[in-house]
Amino acid sequence: MSSSVAEGTDWGRAMRIQFRVLGALILREMSTRFGRENLGYLWLFAEPLLLGSAIGALHHTTGHGLPGGLHVLFFWVTGYVPFYMFRSVINRAPSAVVANQSLLYHRRITLLDILLARNLLEGAAVMGTLLIFLMAFGMTLNLWPQEPALVVLGMISMLAMSHGAGLMLAAGAIYTDLVDRVIHLFTYVTMPFSGAFFMVFWLPTDMQRQALWIPPVHSFEMIRRGLYGTTVPTTYDVGYMVTWIIALNLAGLLMLRVARRRLVV
Amino acid sequence: MIRLENVHKSYKLHGGTSKAVLRGVSAVFGKGEAVGILGRNGAGKSTLLRLISGVEFPEAGRIQRNMSISWPLGHAAAMHYSISGADNARFIARIYEKPIAETVEFVEDFAELGQYYRQPVRTYSSGMMTRLGLALSLAVDFDCYLLDEVVAAGDSRFAERCRAALLDRRARSTMLMVSHQAETVRAFCTSGAVLKDGRLTRYEDLDQAIAAYHAA
Repeated sequence: MSSSVAEGTDWGRAMRIQFRVLGALILREMSTRFGRENLGYLWLFAEPLLLGSAIGALHHTTGHGLPGGLHVLFFWVTGYVPFYMFRSVINRAPSAVVANQSLLYHRRITLLDILLARNLLEGAAVMGTLLIFLMAFGMTLNLWPQEPALVVLGMISMLAMSHGAGLMLAAGAIYTDLVDRVIHLFTYVTMPFSGAFFMVFWLPTDMQRQALWIPPVHSFEMIRRGLYGTTVPTTYDVGYMVTWIIALNLAGLLMLRVARRRLVV
Repeated sequence: MIRLENVHKSYKLHGGTSKAVLRGVSAVFGKGEAVGILGRNGAGKSTLLRLISGVEFPEAGRIQRNMSISWPLGHAAAMHYSISGADNARFIARIYEKPIAETVEFVEDFAELGQYYRQPVRTYSSGMMTRLGLALSLAVDFDCYLLDEVVAAGDSRFAERCRAALLDRRARSTMLMVSHQAETVRAFCTSGAVLKDGRLTRYEDLDQAIAAYHAA
């Protein structure tokens, strides 16, 4: 305990502190969310695994065929798991500030750090879950992703979009509790439009155009291109996705900055 | 050095009104100073510490800091209630770049929580939380400590240890203590200030500050 803590401003140091803070926050988030009892950290994967299996099994047994002859269980699971990440990031954002206010007593920790740590953890957990599912499908059904890199990119794009929207929601929640009350309803009602459970080529031409206004639809299409390759038609626009990611994140950062100044800790 | 320039802060109340707590506080606190800030209940002492620490932001005015400043010590903030004292020590060590094992050990020795150290903080008494908070901040080793009077009060043996630890650092660090009791301030501080009607008045001499506080 000899050297004292100096508040430097140079870049290398700032980056090092940033990574340290993020690492510490992720570890803390793991221990506060899952604890060390029973399955502990395994719950990180258990929840999306169980929910994904349940949804998949449900549609598998009710046995509706899918356009393009897609495998039912495979389609629902690979749609639900990314959607789980999207919903989880968005739903948990409004309560993030209140739940972590005591962290703000450390000036090194910003609201962005708190949200980033949560969402990176969520993203890693869900991507791990998706990997488990894809391995299982590959080994049992011999359905392997055609272009795995696109699956990863699609997941990352969805995480980045949800993170940006999450920043905005967290900032809004500082002003009013309404955000937290309304968001669960919102993610529930908009589920059919998210792109999780349909493909764009299933839709009539005008509806395709409308569906492609919805940003996460592009991410789902990209993931499916990665899964199915060119066996079914997929449509996504990388420029459109990147524009939304940048816009949501910039707006989120700005709102968070303004809201932080009036936050009563 | 910490410099406050014309700092204002008010809080919104229910019903759309707001209460101005600080109305133009200007002050400079230099290295090695130990300043006792006296004020009645509700004078804005805790608000002032929160603004200096950077937990909250002023509405108008500037606060410049060129030293590391602790979080306001006294109440139980700045820790996680759902994890143990030891896990809090690990967390602090990680974010402030301190060796983890040594930090955990230092906090355990200083806070004297016994077996509670490995129990969730939410099971602690308020005195235990205060001890943990102080031990955590001493482990980080800040340049400036912001203290609420409760640190000095409470269980007298701990208060004495805490006084010794802080006095030991006083030569190289700054200390700002808020209190509504002149005696508490006298035990720790070398100069004083009075916070009244949203403004802060500095006195070079602690006795002068105390006299002004009692006269007000």
